[in-house]
Amino acid sequence: MRATVVLVHPSPTSFTHSCAAAAERGLQSAGHDVTTLDLYAMGFQPAMTDAERQAYHGEQPVIDPLVAESVAAVQQAEMLVFVYPTWWSGMPAMLKGWLEKTMLPGVAFVFDKRGKVRPGLQTVRHIVGISSYGSSRAYVKAINDNGRRTLLRALRLNTGWRTKRLWLPMYSIDGSTPERRAAFVASVEKSMAAL
Amino acid sequence: MKTLVVYCHPSRESFVAAVLDATLEGLRDGEHEVRVTDLYADGFDPVFSAEDHANHLADDVDRTGIARYIEDLRWCESLVLVYPTWWAGQPAMLKGWIDRVWVNGVAWKLPAGKRRLKPLLRSIHRITVVTTHGSSKIINALEGEGGKRTVTRSLRALCSRTCRTHWIAMYTVDTSTELQRAQFLHRVRLRLAA
Repeated sequence: MRATVVLVHPSPTSFTHSCAAAAERGLQSAGHDVTTLDLYAMGFQPAMTDAERQAYHGEQPVIDPLVAESVAAVQQAEMLVFVYPTWWSGMPAMLKGWLEKTMLPGVAFVFDKRGKVRPGLQTVRHIVGISSYGSSRAYVKAINDNGRRTLLRALRLNTGWRTKRLWLPMYSIDGSTPERRAAFVASVEKSMAAL
Repeated sequence: MKTLVVYCHPSRESFVAAVLDATLEGLRDGEHEVRVTDLYADGFDPVFSAEDHANHLADDVDRTGIARYIEDLRWCESLVLVYPTWWAGQPAMLKGWIDRVWVNGVAWKLPAGKRRLKPLLRSIHRITVVTTHGSSKIINALEGEGGKRTVTRSLRALCSRTCRTHWIAMYTVDTSTELQRAQFLHRVRLRLAA
């Protein structure tokens, strides 16, 4: 299968980057084709501009070349893998903006004759999220995991009900030991190889 | 009440801009002391950088670039967020304001050896969200109302213990009639004046 990995972290030496590398290795070992979008390295601009907002419902909503690259990577994907740190119980602004600018009408969803929204990403068979959290599992559950909900529910409404979902969370990372982090990275590789 | 309004929409001709105007009229009717932040007009940079990340837990960080936003946040007793809900949450621009301004030493600190954050915005007693949703209330419920929870749970946890949150939302705005939109603006004016 063709997999698109969306990697979001400002620092190339981050734990998030280790997780993404493990996911790539796992996917490749299972014979999948991997395309990685490293949003910070690409210099992606997450804030939707006035011009982009005006063009959103028009014929040509893609203005930014990095958005065009992202749209192409999403449209060919059968697996979407998101790797990011959870900040403020959600996605970093970088990933939130990528979602807003890439998941456009005509890409992620289409309007039918009655003006209802229909899924546009029916080729996507798996959505995977790999995220680290400063807080404990109990706190994340109490406060709600908005990044997870946005990707596994809101985005899944645009891929169809048959899309399988997988979430790999690393909770309480702030107080974690190197051994626990290494074990998580190894488990990411294994889970991805099993997809 | 000292009220900080944070507004986020790229276009001044949008319905959300009209919602901002109604918000400000309501606050004026209620005789609140108001400061307004327009993130797009300011050209705010929403990207939490590698440098921000490296200084994440440091004590003496130079924050001159965002000093005004920090000052406003510490000043206010009531926070009002005005934005369109996109993909079930705050637009990236507003999420970036949270990521970059609600930082260590401003919104929270992590005392040495502790695992829980200590809230620093105890002076904020009220958070109000005024937002529009393209989709229906049912779809938003299915999606989990993530944006609502970010505010009423995550942000609120760092404010006053008795902080009240208010959610003023218009659903299905994409297919709404002019009358419905006018009614919503009226509702916003009345609610903010209270």
